[in-house]
Amino acid sequence: MRSERRGRLALPAIAAAVAMTTVALGLAACGSDTVGGGNSAKVTTAEAGPVEGKLTISNWPGYIDPGKEGTVAEFEGKTGVSVDYIEDINSNDGFFGKLQPQLEQGESGGRSIFVVADYMAKQMYDLGYLQEIDHADLPTVFKTLLPSLESPAFDPERKFSVPWQGGMTGIWVDTSKAPEIHSVNDLFDPKYKGKVTMLDELRETPALVMLAEGVDPAKASADQWIHAIEKLGDAANSGQIRRFTGNEYTEDLTAGNIVAAIGWSGDASLIENPNAEWRMPTEGCTRWSENMVIPVGAPNTAAALAWMDFVYRPEVAVDITEYVEYISPVQGVKQLLEKRGSELAKSQIVFPSEQFTRDCTGQNTPPELERVNEAWQDVLTG
Amino acid sequence: MSLRRRSVPYWLLAPGLLWLVVFFVVPMYFMGELALRSGSLTSGYTFDWAWSNFPDSLSGHTEQIGRSFLYAGTATVLALLIAYPLAYAIAFRAGRYKLLLLFAVIAPFFTTYLIRTIAWKTILSDSSPVVGVLQSLSLIPPDGRVLATSGSVIAGLTYNFLPFMILPLYANLERLDLRLIEAAKDLYSSSSQAFLRVTLPLTMPGIVAGVLLTFIPAFGDYVNAQILGGTQQAMIGNVIQSLYLNQRDYPEAAALSFLMMGLILAIVMIYIRFAGTGAFMGDEEEAGA
Repeated sequence: MRSERRGRLALPAIAAAVAMTTVALGLAACGSDTVGGGNSAKVTTAEAGPVEGKLTISNWPGYIDPGKEGTVAEFEGKTGVSVDYIEDINSNDGFFGKLQPQLEQGESGGRSIFVVADYMAKQMYDLGYLQEIDHADLPTVFKTLLPSLESPAFDPERKFSVPWQGGMTGIWVDTSKAPEIHSVNDLFDPKYKGKVTMLDELRETPALVMLAEGVDPAKASADQWIHAIEKLGDAANSGQIRRFTGNEYTEDLTAGNIVAAIGWSGDASLIENPNAEWRMPTEGCTRWSENMVIPVGAPNTAAALAWMDFVYRPEVAVDITEYVEYISPVQGVKQLLEKRGSELAKSQIVFPSEQFTRDCTGQNTPPELERVNEAWQDVLTG
Repeated sequence: MSLRRRSVPYWLLAPGLLWLVVFFVVPMYFMGELALRSGSLTSGYTFDWAWSNFPDSLSGHTEQIGRSFLYAGTATVLALLIAYPLAYAIAFRAGRYKLLLLFAVIAPFFTTYLIRTIAWKTILSDSSPVVGVLQSLSLIPPDGRVLATSGSVIAGLTYNFLPFMILPLYANLERLDLRLIEAAKDLYSSSSQAFLRVTLPLTMPGIVAGVLLTFIPAFGDYVNAQILGGTQQAMIGNVIQSLYLNQRDYPEAAALSFLMMGLILAIVMIYIRFAGTGAFMGDEEEAGA
């Protein structure tokens, strides 16, 4: 009996040691009875100062030219700040869910700027996850910001958000395969079974379905939201809708897996398919803007403020517009594009007229959010 | 025996135990505590022995649990059917190519899991040659697809976890004493009899280990369903992700995770009992008996 000779391990002793270590570590890490709930009591203002050091920015994919000749490199060259530009935001909810536990602890995961939608910026601010911004630190921003964006309902004084880009949600169509699609209702045509994808964002896809049915998402009741969600659920069950996606719909359009998708107006740079075309749905679109925000615990807020001010220089903003093809919040971009002879100056996607967007609605949050969102998530995880 | 010598095994255990406590027991404690809280993101989550989180987390999600069993089970069986002959060939017939073949089994690990899975999206995209061949062989309808179906998710799971099946089987087969098979043949057994009565029982430990290493991670996987699946392929991992990241119902997400862990544990216990604990512990005498 080899084990006898070497002496058997005493299991109770090991169990006791494990239990003691667990309790010790548990007590050390455990502070309060309630976790979550925000920390809005401690809202601070982002500090300005010497512009140097390192800056980490989280943004969505395809939202800037990250190359050697691009905007990030230009900023680095002009300021000496070394920028870590990460494209790790694929959905507002997903990003928030990933960062929330850290933000609750007053940490931003090393990031100094996030780019998130209006409603998400407001949600973060209300939970105390954002720092406020002093307009005196952003002279260029508040000189060149479009007047129509100066006082949005979610942040009337622009206390915590600076617009990054805006856009519209409508229909991407592969014109070589389904040129006749113009309405969101067309996407439910059995002809296109399994050849259609839709966005997984609550405020986009169900809202467009409601618009197509003649319901105004801004005034819709929770039951009207649920009705639209159920319609989408049935279409998912029947195989009509191939997938619910974030940015990945651009891959399916590129690979030719689908003929149409609900998608974002400026994503042409992500779609390598010459026949892909963004269309304004006949019943209207959803309009949104996304904002740069400075989270709590952000390192080097001085560089973050410098970045915000930098991208509002019209000559920088025009480069961004040329690359991303979204709606710029900066005055004078159109004139600069005309001077460069760019076709984009005439594009309704980059400079939508009031006539073009007459039927569009903003990004609306449904009443009884928790119930509606649960119904939506059940459809997504069918 | 001196005290110092008696304490040696404890010191040998210490690094592993500490690792387990810090990265498993403590997080489990917090998860367990979280599962008994209630509240919302804005009001905070308060600890109040909310046992109802457990039944609540199951409601409406039984379909995804069933799907997880089906997908993980199918992938495990497929992996076993592919891996056993392969491991057998590498162990006994590969000759000087043995190392090269083993390297080929491990080589995919040099690329990350995510990239490998995304690569499958290209391989299986609707207009790819692979799908074209399947269509012309009438294995799928002429306008059929592979991507965004159960088939592609199962294929992804099988592919991603196959090496976990091959390696334990190979390690087991490799040390098989070939003289036992010769002995069986000397006693007039046919090749198939020798395989069924000698080789297979002696490689049970490898099979049991391979099945566990494949089934357990495949059951909880959500990447394959997310990337290769469509609207009707969500597994229980995707539900937990949605509860955690999109609905921010942390307590229900934690409760559901615990239930799934319990379920897997129960299945593994039954399986080990059925397959024989001896086989699991690598006791060849018992396994071969």
